[in-house]
Amino acid sequence: MADIVLRDVSKSYGAVQVLDSVSMHIRSGEFIVFLGPSGCGKSTLLRMIAGLEAVNAGEIHIGDRRVDQLPPNQRGVAMVFQNYALYPHMTVRQNMSFGLENVGTDKGEIAKRVDEAARMLEIGQLLDRRPAQLSGGQRQRVAIGRAIVREPDAFLLDEPLSNLDAGLRVRTRVELAQLHQRIGTTMIFVTHDQTEAMTLASRIVVMNNRKVEQIGTPMEVYSKPASRFVAAFVGSPSMNFLPVTALADVGGRVVVTAGGSTIPTTIATSVAPTVGQGLTFGVRPESLRVAADGEISGTIALVERLGDRTLIHTKLSDGTVIVGDDIGKSTLEAGAPVRLKIDGSAVHLFDAQGVAYHAD
Amino acid sequence: MLRDKRQEYLVALLLVGPFVLIYGALFVWPTIQMAMLSFTKAPLIGTGDWVGWDNYVKILSHKLFHQAFWNTAYFVLLTVIPNTLISLVIAMAVNRLKGPVQGFVLACFFLPYILPVSVVFLTWNWIIDVQYGLVQGFVALFNGGQPISLTRTIPLFMPTVAFVTIWWTMGFNILLFIAGLRNISPEIYEAASLDSAGRWRQFQRITWPLIWPVTALVLTIQLIAQLKIFDQVYLFSIGGRQDATITLVQYVYKLAFQQNKGGEAATAAMLLFGMIIILSVLQYQLLRARGEK
Repeated sequence: MADIVLRDVSKSYGAVQVLDSVSMHIRSGEFIVFLGPSGCGKSTLLRMIAGLEAVNAGEIHIGDRRVDQLPPNQRGVAMVFQNYALYPHMTVRQNMSFGLENVGTDKGEIAKRVDEAARMLEIGQLLDRRPAQLSGGQRQRVAIGRAIVREPDAFLLDEPLSNLDAGLRVRTRVELAQLHQRIGTTMIFVTHDQTEAMTLASRIVVMNNRKVEQIGTPMEVYSKPASRFVAAFVGSPSMNFLPVTALADVGGRVVVTAGGSTIPTTIATSVAPTVGQGLTFGVRPESLRVAADGEISGTIALVERLGDRTLIHTKLSDGTVIVGDDIGKSTLEAGAPVRLKIDGSAVHLFDAQGVAYHAD
Repeated sequence: MLRDKRQEYLVALLLVGPFVLIYGALFVWPTIQMAMLSFTKAPLIGTGDWVGWDNYVKILSHKLFHQAFWNTAYFVLLTVIPNTLISLVIAMAVNRLKGPVQGFVLACFFLPYILPVSVVFLTWNWIIDVQYGLVQGFVALFNGGQPISLTRTIPLFMPTVAFVTIWWTMGFNILLFIAGLRNISPEIYEAASLDSAGRWRQFQRITWPLIWPVTALVLTIQLIAQLKIFDQVYLFSIGGRQDATITLVQYVYKLAFQQNKGGEAATAAMLLFGMIIILSVLQYQLLRARGEK
């Protein structure tokens, strides 16, 4: 068990920079998720922590040791690869024992740890099989088992669920969360799936374009996104964005004119930017409910029924389409007029640089 | 889409027909003819009287046949395993290179393979020439400062030809090994390095077992090719004591084309044919069994 500290870590391949001065402090026992779109550098960062990629600049500390110049096996981390990287010619037991044999662990101890991990992951009956004889989900467990037996300071997981089918992915996600609760070891999990990030993480590291955009708990990232990128990337369906045409001050609170409507918010005027800075107004669909006294009016362009809720795609007078929310048993139909009521305490403003301003 | 069954058969026949016909006419029929010939006292051209197993008894007790057998076996020993191991080592080295450098180095190793045997012979005959050969400077170190003919000194003949053969043919084996090595996912090596496996251990526990099917294939191809050795041995021994370095195919050649004994030559060829089939099938099965263990 150890803290992991990154200080101004940078990486480039020739002239192409893939990570630009990334810093963070991961506390012992945390479940950290690196979330970001393809190519944002999240897998590279994980591989740098593992020692599979060299660090061009900056420092990586695990516990009280600086590890960025150490080979992978001396960093005390274990990794689960996207394609599992199981040794195809070895049985499950051999796969799990290999790392311990290499460091000369006593045979009895190896057998004990392998059996224990196999019991925990319910793969006891598979120990004599080879990877080719296992299903995707079983391989996944073996890969995790191989990491567990080494009793590392931290687990590094590189999109480990992406090769599983939808149902299995959800089940494995739950099991992974339970596993983390049980063993309590630091886990760093890389994904581009924001649902995985939201459900698993103690804290999410949102990455974009070589940099960290925000580090925070899932709810912080969701309700107080640090930037327009984070606001758009996290949450499904995505946040609605409308260009702001005017701002007014009513009793110290900002009143926004956007999409042809006047919208009162609880954003303090003192902290808000001024209009003319290319402001954008953002609101999530669930804060935009169908109501007879709604501030925003439009015509329904499309109705998406999800069962528990209904998404109302609404076309405003200026042609913009925003997504609002209605109850699951909504009777609304496309083509009908509709009014949407904004929860002014859950809205955001973003300036031209993408910096966010939130309601109190 | 459902089709007429008869039409399907017709198309299938049309597609395999030409191959079966040519294979039958150029391989199966001559092989049967040769088997028949081995039971006759025929000259090189024309037919001869049926003599039953006489030729087999005669050839098997022929001293020169034994000489040819042991020479061939010695040559196989000197080439098959060394060639395979050297090719694997070079393939692993080349595989570590990247981009155009890798292509260039690979091309360098592959180049000899495309040379005809006559060119290989002339090149090396010149390199090892006892008077002005480049190699003599090195050889002299082991011979009290004196040059020595590598192809006229009987104990050195087979090792020399084996060396040239390895140089000539390893390009193809390297190519097979590189294809095999590229099949091993780099992630597996990354996993192994996280699992504290050093270079040697990675080779021992990952590369060697995973490349084994290719190794078995290379060994088998080599075994078959080297049992049929003729060209190099023949060329390097011209003008020397050919009987001392004779190999099995050379023996067949001698019986047929120098002694006009078609029946006996066919017998020797049948014996070699049988040997190759038994040895290669046996070897391949053994190697495969080892791999599956």
